[in-house]
Amino acid sequence: MIETIFSGRRLALAAAVTCALGTSLAQARTLETAFGDVEIDGQPERVVTLYEGALDASLTAGVKPLGAVATRGGDGVADYLGDAADGISIVGTARETNMEAVVAQRPDLILASSRLPREQYALLSRVAPTIVPPSEGFSPEAWKEEARLFGDALDRRAAIDEALTAIENRSQSLAARQRDGDTGAATPSTSPSSGTRTSTTRTSATRTSATLARWMPQGPLVMSSRIFSSGLLAATGFEVDDGGVVKAGRPHSDPLSLENLSRIDSDWLFLATLNADGQAALDSARQTPAFARLEVVHNDHVVPVDGQLWTSASGPIAAERILDDIEAVLDRDAMNR
Amino acid sequence: MTTSAIELQPKARAPLATLLLALLTGLALVCLASLLLGAGEVGPAEAWAAIRGDGTADARFVVESLRLPRTLIGVAVGAALGLAGALIQAVARNPLAEPGLLGVSAGSALAVAVALVLGADAATLRVSVAQIGALAGCLFVLAVARVNGVGNDPVRLVLAGAILSGLLGALTSMILLIDQRSADDIRFWIVGSLAGRRLDDLGAILPSLVVALALVIAVARPLAALALGERVAVGLGHRPRWTRLLTVVAAALLVGAATAVAGPIAFVGLVVPFAARALAGPDVRRTLWLSLILGPILVLAADIVSRRLVAPSEMPLGVVTALIGAPVLVAVVRAHRMPAL
Repeated sequence: MIETIFSGRRLALAAAVTCALGTSLAQARTLETAFGDVEIDGQPERVVTLYEGALDASLTAGVKPLGAVATRGGDGVADYLGDAADGISIVGTARETNMEAVVAQRPDLILASSRLPREQYALLSRVAPTIVPPSEGFSPEAWKEEARLFGDALDRRAAIDEALTAIENRSQSLAARQRDGDTGAATPSTSPSSGTRTSTTRTSATRTSATLARWMPQGPLVMSSRIFSSGLLAATGFEVDDGGVVKAGRPHSDPLSLENLSRIDSDWLFLATLNADGQAALDSARQTPAFARLEVVHNDHVVPVDGQLWTSASGPIAAERILDDIEAVLDRDAMNR
Repeated sequence: MTTSAIELQPKARAPLATLLLALLTGLALVCLASLLLGAGEVGPAEAWAAIRGDGTADARFVVESLRLPRTLIGVAVGAALGLAGALIQAVARNPLAEPGLLGVSAGSALAVAVALVLGADAATLRVSVAQIGALAGCLFVLAVARVNGVGNDPVRLVLAGAILSGLLGALTSMILLIDQRSADDIRFWIVGSLAGRRLDDLGAILPSLVVALALVIAVARPLAALALGERVAVGLGHRPRWTRLLTVVAAALLVGAATAVAGPIAFVGLVVPFAARALAGPDVRRTLWLSLILGPILVLAADIVSRRLVAPSEMPLGVVTALIGAPVLVAVVRAHRMPAL
């Protein structure tokens, strides 16, 4: 406790120095969170993130958290973060926080998910100021607001804004490229039966459709068109289609029956896997006759993607990596043309 | 022992042949329904057209490549589980004995979890892994309960099975907590389902099913004699220890085969022999053959429900059988008189 106060003083001193130098103003600020207003003073140094989106935003802002939660289906932080996340202690999983591990880090700021339960908030907020973004339901744009809030909390809002602007610009240029390039129009020669589904001459109104799913032997899990990566697909000009499978208010879905696979037969199918080897997952999916006969498989428009990145993560760094994947798809498609 | 022998006197019941014929008709109808109904857009009329050889390409694909394998596997799984249930209840002389309670399912689940952690892929997992686990689990339970004592105290066998199931279940959970990737892979295996299984899988378990069926034919008579009491069985020239061992091995092979293909499916092995006894009385030579047909009927019916309930998605079969089986278990326990076996 004494040390916390001490580090707080040190921080205030540091803030005063920067203030005097006139570079950045680390002043006390009030943030609107899901559990009311939270006051933060100075520039936090000992940050713990309990949410993958918060870890991503924090690294974007140039602050390496001391502790973070493990990614879904993994033992550490998501692989896409690479070296940037080396040395971060794991203080729990997305479902369960190890309170003792959090306290042991003696944090001066905790960044959590909008789904943090009130009971946990009550505990955490006694350890350090805890930022819980106000919940907006499942909106594909929510992550941007969250990143800005985390940026404010870290007193590094400018870095976040810069990253978000870069992502928006890149999305728009990819979308423009897609519009001009007419990507994804199925080549009619490979699929004679496709007359009804895909028109060969695509008007500007019909956008290339894309579905995001995880493959399971008994049927794919179709991802909602409202999750983070679906939002990026939409921003880059894809019509994200969850086949009417995902019910309102639910982020993911039950396995789609193999009998209904035609519902995910979009122009592009992004196939997410939690283990790194996406190609192996695709090969195993191909062994299922119901999958092998899909038009999107015939057209070779199935793209294996990293499930940690596409179905678990959120944040500016994740967005850039997903845009890399999307750009690679557009490049590949342009080459095949 | 003599009292139970008196109870075993056949009462006035329908002849076995009539019962079997009626049940086979029922099975044929359920199989047909299983081909006609699904979670997809191919309705009964289209499916019927496809069965007769015309209909759209889509309908023919759905019926031939999705519903037909699923139905055949459902028949095999149901028959194996029903028969295993009848065997285990007869050998444990307890109407509450269920293959799932005897460490068989927990054994195969643990084996699958270990295989996944060691790098196997859920989609291509060989069925032998689950079968070895089932057999090991079952033999371990027998060792714990000391097979000699079973005749006198069948409760011990069930208790030992419950203890082992708990232990193996905890080990499985522990492994899955340590290895998150496997947890994600096994999540869908652990509830049991017939969806997405291929006919190759059926081929892989066929040898075990044939061996088990041969064993069942061999032990049916000694098992019926054993129901009259240990001494009577010995007097009739049977060897009770061998009978019990072979019966349990047959049951483990059957459950292992079913679990390997479809994952653990709860309660079928409990409900089916119960229904068989209600129809044909307690003579194991009758209930065995009835269970062989009642099992597929129950599994296919439950599978049809699993496809229709949450279409266009599917509810795992294991969930549906548990929903059907749990009330039956409660009814058995609450019954005034437990059927003596």
